[in-house]
Amino acid sequence: MLERPALQRNATLPPPLDTRYQVETPEGIDLPLRPAGLMPRALAFAIDLGIRGLVLGLLFIILAFFGELGIGLGSILLFVVSWWYMVLFEVLNQGRSPGKQIMGLRVVQDDGRPIGWSASLIRNLLRFVDMLPFGYTFGAISCLQHPAFKRLGDLAAGTLVVYREQPVKRPALPLAQSIRPPFTLSLNEQRAVLGFAERQAELSEARVNELASILASPLNVQAPKAVAELNGIARGLLGPT
Amino acid sequence: MRLSDATVVIRPRTTWEAMDLGVLMSQQHRRLLMTSWAVITLPVFALLSLLLWDSPSLAMFLFWWLKPAFDRLPLYILSKALFGETPTLKQALRQWPTLLKPQLLASLTWRRLSLSRSFLMPVVQLEGLDGEAREQRLRVLLQRNRGAAQWLTVIGVHLEIALWFGLMALFYLLVPQQVELQWNWQTLIAVAEHDWLWLEHLINLLYPLLLIVWEPVYVACGFSLYLNRRTILEAWDIELVFRRLRQRLSSTAPALMLLALLLVPLAPPAWAAEDSTAPDSPRLLNQPLTSEASRDSIKAILQAPPFKNPETVTRYRLGEETAESAETDEAPGWLKAWFKWISGQRFDIAAALIQIVLWACLVAAIAWLAWRYRERLRALVNLRPTKRPPVARPVPAQMFGLDIREESLPDDVAASVEQLWATDPRQALGLLYRALLSRLHNDFAIPLKPADTEGQVLQRIELLEHERLLTFSQHLTLHWQNIAYGHRPPPTHLQQQLCDDWRGLFGPQGAR
Repeated sequence: MLERPALQRNATLPPPLDTRYQVETPEGIDLPLRPAGLMPRALAFAIDLGIRGLVLGLLFIILAFFGELGIGLGSILLFVVSWWYMVLFEVLNQGRSPGKQIMGLRVVQDDGRPIGWSASLIRNLLRFVDMLPFGYTFGAISCLQHPAFKRLGDLAAGTLVVYREQPVKRPALPLAQSIRPPFTLSLNEQRAVLGFAERQAELSEARVNELASILASPLNVQAPKAVAELNGIARGLLGPT
Repeated sequence: MRLSDATVVIRPRTTWEAMDLGVLMSQQHRRLLMTSWAVITLPVFALLSLLLWDSPSLAMFLFWWLKPAFDRLPLYILSKALFGETPTLKQALRQWPTLLKPQLLASLTWRRLSLSRSFLMPVVQLEGLDGEAREQRLRVLLQRNRGAAQWLTVIGVHLEIALWFGLMALFYLLVPQQVELQWNWQTLIAVAEHDWLWLEHLINLLYPLLLIVWEPVYVACGFSLYLNRRTILEAWDIELVFRRLRQRLSSTAPALMLLALLLVPLAPPAWAAEDSTAPDSPRLLNQPLTSEASRDSIKAILQAPPFKNPETVTRYRLGEETAESAETDEAPGWLKAWFKWISGQRFDIAAALIQIVLWACLVAAIAWLAWRYRERLRALVNLRPTKRPPVARPVPAQMFGLDIREESLPDDVAASVEQLWATDPRQALGLLYRALLSRLHNDFAIPLKPADTEGQVLQRIELLEHERLLTFSQHLTLHWQNIAYGHRPPPTHLQQQLCDDWRGLFGPQGAR
């Protein structure tokens, strides 16, 4: 019953599973977005909840001195904080509420544009559907079963929670005399060679040698010298810095 | 294990992204994972409940304690599916008893409460490590992802509780009203006294039900964290590309080698061979401008204004420490006075004032909305569409770049056309055509828009059902288009015909 039908001989294989979400712009450029799943989002929400609770608690204590005026202002405050906290932060702060900021997330439209007022209002009003029947049950199930990890509010508003691009630190390459690769390398392979040089510090010595020895025979060198050779190629690819 | 068979994209990810990959993996095989999980857990739960009918909490606790034993099945399925050998339900279930053997006791006793349980499970089950080897492996694995794995479990615990309460609430909502009438919270709390054991077992049952959804995801997330850690530790992604590269090169290498062997004696010594140094070494040393001199001058230019604009800004700032220390001493007295003032003050007036302002805002907003949509409201009340005043359409001054205002035309159009025809037929036809457009607009009141094409103008003329005008217009448009766009001059006899037609249509003098 659970068996899949056998693939045709010349059928294309299903694409491998990845956490990237490609958006194609009208100019034909692929923008890879990385949708964020339930776990970082739950933590971001918990942080936001804590901040809201703290702010409301402090203000309520202050407002308690003011009698009826305090009760009135408090209820206005409760309304503003519970309904507008997320919306205002998302629209005015590039899709990031404080919790999302801490977790490195942001909200964008499905096509990668910044989120607007209507989308943000819809996704935050529908929070109350996601909360049903208790503690985000529907939202969590939807988030776990959707390929782009959307909760119901995201589905309705056409929004996506993605990881922000973090600034990249310039990696340090091991010192080597730069050489030209003896064969042409595709972009992917160039990246792998560069990655090999950049990540050498994190790998164990034996593993580095093992990796380099894969390419020893195409490089026409003895296996022990392959590491230096690959580092030289990486230097050459990187160019003068 | 062949990395090239992996059904997921292998690359180093951040820890959270690695967990997301686990969620995706569990989604891909959700049917198999959920059914197999349900098949093994539900009978165990039923058995435990029956055996311990009198103490539902104990049954529940035992079931919860046995989770690591059940977790081994989803991990087996996921690890097989990772390399494209997804087992069938039957194969997976048959495998379960053998999966249980290694170190079951340890994982059910002192390792049960480990927060990184799902992250470390593959070490025992997939790598088969034990004792000292396992300890070493854990030490390496836990260098980085310990926090993420623990967060996963913590989030999982909260999610389980939330889902459990959620299912209970759903269950309560779905109970028919007739039954619900007899229940209230006091009886629910007093369940134990009433010996409503079946209800407690029912609520317990919700837990295995929610685990069907959650536990495979939990195992998959731990597994993908483990995969990601090993991808980073052992550079699996690089190995994958290197192996493909070697494969590509080894398939082309023999042919190239043969070619090289043939060509080696013939090939002249390469120019590049003499100068095999890197591009940044000094070159071109025998001429006035050496490579280094040119590089220095380029660098000097790049430091100068159009490329770099350094700017020094001086601003005053508030001093930080001195001001504060002076104020802290004053604060208590000032604060005390403020509190005294507050407690003495009545804020009811202010509250009433704000209340009035808020009500006024509401009324104003409703009034504004009513004013804004008054037309629609009137239509709603009268059920009669309101008439809009006809919009005066402005005369387009130009069409197709031709000036069609009446003032721009000569008094006698036909005579001007006859004059122009000999020297400049293009001008002549243009004049005639724009005179026609002007007449169409002014005399026949055809609504012309600047965006209309010649064909659309003709269609409008057809609607007038004026036979002569239509044939004249078609004729004129055809020849105008020929000369305007095709640069084909009209035949000479056409002049007389068109001018006569014009006079016939719009009067002998072309009088207005």
